[in-house]
Parts: sequence; structure tokens; C-alpha cells
Amino acid sequence: MTEQDAIRMTNEVFIDSFEIPKDKLAPQANIFNDLGLDSLDIVDLVVALQKKFGIMIRSDERVRNIRTLGDIYQFILVIKKELEK
Amino acid sequence: MRILRIVYLNISFYVLTTTFLLTCLPALGSLMIIFALILPKRMMMRRLRRAISWFGAVVIRIFPWPLVRLSYKDFSGNDTRGPYLFVCNHRSASDPFLMSVLPYEGIQVVNIWPFRLPILGVIAKSAGYLSVRELPFEAFLAKTSKLLKDGVSIAVFPEGTRSRDKQVGQFHSAIFRVALETKMPIVPLCITGNEFIPPVGSPYLRPGLIKLHRLEAITWGEYRGFSPFKLKNYVRDIIIKEAALMDKKNV
Repeated sequence: MTEQDAIRMTNEVFIDSFEIPKDKLAPQANIFNDLGLDSLDIVDLVVALQKKFGIMIRSDERVRNIRTLGDIYQFILVIKKELEK
Repeated sequence: MRILRIVYLNISFYVLTTTFLLTCLPALGSLMIIFALILPKRMMMRRLRRAISWFGAVVIRIFPWPLVRLSYKDFSGNDTRGPYLFVCNHRSASDPFLMSVLPYEGIQVVNIWPFRLPILGVIAKSAGYLSVRELPFEAFLAKTSKLLKDGVSIAVFPEGTRSRDKQVGQFHSAIFRVALETKMPIVPLCITGNEFIPPVGSPYLRPGLIKLHRLEAITWGEYRGFSPFKLKNYVRDIIIKEAALMDKKNV
């Protein structure tokens, strides 16, 4: 998976599951303050990301460190690389 | 001269409130014990919540007058059926007292700190007020669903903390998830004018007119099919628009 794929597919999750306009989806956007998600929405986000990318991240401690959309792109790429190994 | 008058009215407010607290709270505590002994629990809770509402009305409408005035407008056509989920913006520590204008048996969803207040915290807890941060969501859902089923309305401040700049902060979604589960109508309540009644970090009340607008209920038919995220932002947008109007115009 390329970085562009990770960005595109993650953005699709935000657009489809949360109806957030595409122009708000910048890598530096804080998912809490800028995009308006809260801790319960994060659970929905994790489920949607798992479904979209075919991965299991629910119990991954690194999810707790995610703050920005860019963090999610990088996290997805790392997970995908780990799975490829 | 004007400043002296404001200082005098502040002193008068705090003296009256303290005296009222010192006399009213022991009386309320005694009444609670008597009610608990002689009344069924449901009836006791109803009376206790009514007593809290009266207390709020006295503290927000009578004691600070004429320094602080309150204008309440009901755009729901005096709908008194209930129960409802009242969703409010949050600018001041005086907001919870404003809920006393609502003609319903109700509780409020609060942060942790109000429960830690001496006496008042115990009374709030006894009346079934909920500290959302101390409850896992499943327990919160179970408790709120039971309250709504019993006909008790719930008032929430989904920003979770006071706004410092009149902007409506991001909403937490817990109460909107409750709405989607229980299909209860949501009533937006917009509060403006009390940013400095009192200002953050100060007990000093500035003179002003607090405006409270109760908007039309958003029914299940309107929000059916929404995600919790979409619903919370839908309600937030309604409150932002109304609050902006209220701030801008003398409405």
C-alpha cells in the first residue's frame, strides 16, 4: 500500500462514516479539536478503519497516541507494513 | 457611583445566597430524610428535583435582580409534554441554575466537580444527577434510558466545559447516542449574555441580561438514520446559528 492509498482510503472513511467535508481533511487537522470527534466517536472510527483496511487495531495501544489525521495515515502505513512482514 | 451600586448588588447577592444556603440546605436535607421515610422513592425523587428547581430559580432570578435579569423565550409553542433531552451551550457557571425555567421534572448531566461540592454535591447525587465522566457509556445509557422512561427530562452541556470566547465548542456524543437509542426528542437551548455572570475565575457578577431561548424539539422522525456524529453536529449547528443571532441582535 502506498502513502497515497492510505491517505485516500482514510479520507474516505471520514467522508463516508462521519460526513466530514473533504476540504477539512488536512494531515495537520486535529481529530478532536478540528474534526470534532470524541472518545466514543473514536470507537466508531476504529471499527470503520478496521473494515476499510482489513486490519485489527482495536486493542493496539498506539491508537491512544493518535491526535491528527496525519498520525492516522502514518499508523495505517506502519500496520500495513507490519502485516506484510 | 455605578460601580458602587454594582459592588453593593454583588455583596447583597452573596449575602442572600449564603444565608439562603445555610437555612435552606439543612431544611432540604431534613425534608429528604422525612420524604425517604414516608414517601415511595419515585415520589420522593420528584419532590427533591422540584425543590432543586425552586432553589435554582431563587438563586438566578430573585437574588441577583436587578443586577442580572433573565429573558426566557419559548419557541416550542409551550410544549409541556416531555420528557425531553435538553441540549445547551455552556458559557457560564450560572447555566445550570437556568434550567429552573423548564417546567419539567429533570436532572442534569454534570462534570465531576459539582459532585464534590459540599452538601450541594450530595443533594445533586441524591436527585439522580449524573456525572458523565465517572460512568462507562453503557452505564450512562442504562441510567438515562431508565430516567427518560420514568418521564424525567435530562439537561446536558455537551461541550463539557465553559466556552471562553462565545464560540460553541465541539460536542461530546454520549447524549446523542442516548437519543438514538431511546428515540427521545432533543430540545436545543441557547444561552447568551451570561459570559460575565460571573466571568471565568471570578465570583464578581457583572450587570447583564441573560437570554435563554428554547427552540423547537427535534423529533426522532427528523434525526432517524443519523449517525451519532452527524446528530451532534446537526444540533450544534442549530445552537451556533441561534446563539449568533442572539448575540448580534436584541432578540
